[in-house]
Amino acid sequence: MNKKSRPWFYSFPALAVISLIILFPILYTGYLSFTNMNIYHWFNPGIIGFENYRKALFVFDSGFLPALLRTILWTVLNMAIQVAVSFLISVLLNSEGLVLKNFYKTLLMFPWAMPAYVSILLWRLGIFNSQFGLLNHWLSLLKIEPVNWLNGNLSAFLCCMVVNLWMAFPFMILTMDGAIQSIDKSYYESAVLEGAGTFTKMTKITYPMIRPIIMPAVILTTFVTFKQFDTVYLMTQQVGSKTGADIHTVITYAYEKAFITSNYGYSAAISILIFIIIIALTVISKKYIREGGAQ
Amino acid sequence: MKTRTKFTALLLAACTMGSALTGCQGSTGAASSSAQSANAAVSSANSQKPVSITVWHEAEDGIVKPLKTELDKLSPNITVTFQRKQNMSDALKLSGNDPSSAPDLYLMAHDKTGTFAQMGILAPVTDFISESELSDLIPMTVKAGTYQDKIYQLPVYFETQMLIYNKALMKKVPTTTDDWLSYMKANTDTKKGTYALVEQHSTAYYAAAWMHSFGATIIDGEGKPELNSQAMKDALTYHKRFVAYEPTDGEYNTDTTLFLSGKAQAIIQGPWLIPSIKSAGIDYGVAPLPTVNSTGKPLMPYSGVEGMYVLKNAESAKKDAVAAVLRQLLKPEAGIALAEAADEAPANSKCYDDAAVSENASLMDMKNTAQTAVPMQNVPQMDVMWTVTENALSAINKNNQEIAAQLEDAQKKAIEGIAAMQ
Repeated sequence: MNKKSRPWFYSFPALAVISLIILFPILYTGYLSFTNMNIYHWFNPGIIGFENYRKALFVFDSGFLPALLRTILWTVLNMAIQVAVSFLISVLLNSEGLVLKNFYKTLLMFPWAMPAYVSILLWRLGIFNSQFGLLNHWLSLLKIEPVNWLNGNLSAFLCCMVVNLWMAFPFMILTMDGAIQSIDKSYYESAVLEGAGTFTKMTKITYPMIRPIIMPAVILTTFVTFKQFDTVYLMTQQVGSKTGADIHTVITYAYEKAFITSNYGYSAAISILIFIIIIALTVISKKYIREGGAQ
Repeated sequence: MKTRTKFTALLLAACTMGSALTGCQGSTGAASSSAQSANAAVSSANSQKPVSITVWHEAEDGIVKPLKTELDKLSPNITVTFQRKQNMSDALKLSGNDPSSAPDLYLMAHDKTGTFAQMGILAPVTDFISESELSDLIPMTVKAGTYQDKIYQLPVYFETQMLIYNKALMKKVPTTTDDWLSYMKANTDTKKGTYALVEQHSTAYYAAAWMHSFGATIIDGEGKPELNSQAMKDALTYHKRFVAYEPTDGEYNTDTTLFLSGKAQAIIQGPWLIPSIKSAGIDYGVAPLPTVNSTGKPLMPYSGVEGMYVLKNAESAKKDAVAAVLRQLLKPEAGIALAEAADEAPANSKCYDDAAVSENASLMDMKNTAQTAVPMQNVPQMDVMWTVTENALSAINKNNQEIAAQLEDAQKKAIEGIAAMQ
């Protein structure tokens, strides 16, 4: 065996397994997206070209494009708040002389320890429920009319954001906290000697130093937020518990299309479109990190 | 040292590959064992050796247990195994045509009949037993599982909605909708969280009762959506007057908690709530659903008929055994056992001659409601209609959207969705 083919030989088992469990489903979904696989052609699907893609992209009233725009808004808002708030909390957690640091950190990790399904239902039934929810209970104590938190589009969107942020903060805080702890204290000491204030230290030392460390976490979380399903679906779209708010994201939209129409060809086309968007975002973000690193 | 490292790397790679493929081997093993059992079943049917029948279900243990007890009477010639299957509908779509993983029969509500018949995974029950053997069944239950003139379901029991009230809180139950509205106005205090009536007003399955009494329907028998009809608009406009005196979210959990905690005097629900009501120690009564004053018709709820379906795979391999199972379930004894154990209304009309059934108020109420109940449509297009209708109902009742506009939009989406099914 020559030197060139030897690494391939050694990595063949791993590559085979990866192909089987990752590559094959993607390729098969790609194949399905060009077929008319549905209950009328379940065992004999035919190739229909780009028809499913045409439906997904060019039928404007089908709901896909509004869902896509909403998903982009959802991702941008969630990520902006998540990064900003996590940064502030992490900086505060690393303040000199802060007592009970570990206790606060443990508390902040708590949402991460709970299964997402349980967290979401607790928020939905325990906090936002119009009849028994904590928020309306507080409003009633203040003699204010109860609010149907999850029924309007805007309020439901905001409520879902709150829940999503609550679940997402621990990971971001943990990453930033670790990154901040890795900064050499001498930088701050020098900055103090030069007369730098808290804001200057944060923007000129902390942020540039942790940026390369937290960027992979930010990118990862961006993708997770973009393809978020549980929060929006369980809060507003669950069959039998729909709230009247129409805040579909591309994933909940694709899910609804797939499971109510049983049209797997169309759903596969939507999935491939989402896949392409995520790949494009990855390429752009990688380029951004490279350029950032070079600077 | 280098050779040793190479050897270790190869060994680890082989282990990874081996362990990854173990899962596949497991299923291959299962496949071959199923295939073997299928072959065994063929030969066993001929030589009177035991035949094993697998039934998938999503039902509660309380329902499965009496059915299993009845079917155990077929042993040792036939052994029936009930297997709980989560997301059974999806599982059937994926493996319903695969002899190595599909069951022989499955127990399910009738509304997916058209979907699975259209996919071609079902065998009509009349391939196993004659149509005349179904003559004792309540006609509505047979109609429910009939798709394109073929009977695909053997009805076992049915469920429909009933008006359950708390006798301690409600002395006299109104009989017309106008009387109910007056009663609700007088006995509802949303600030205190006390209600005269609670119902799942924005769930299509429940709201359909109001639609039917106005002559509206979600979809017709041909699979054409009927959401924007005038009758539908009238029904939802009228219904919304009642929704104003009910909890806005109208969810199962909220409604049942209110009723079980004595904060709601009455509830429109199915028989599945009865065990919880008994556990809560509530002295309850069951009353007929009210009559709509303007149409003169009672609320006509959907009925869901639970029954046994046969997969095509079992048709050739285990025909006699499947026929024996279906005949056993047709016997009144099976329905009576189910009624006694789980308070479920048997599909066999002969069961109602038995005192254990005829003295059960909720079962007799359901039998009476069966006269006017409308079986959920079983055409494949109904899959789209559930979601589209519920979206519209939620927007109207919970998000206060305009009725006509929502129904027009829902109709459009339903047509789009149905077109997308093709």
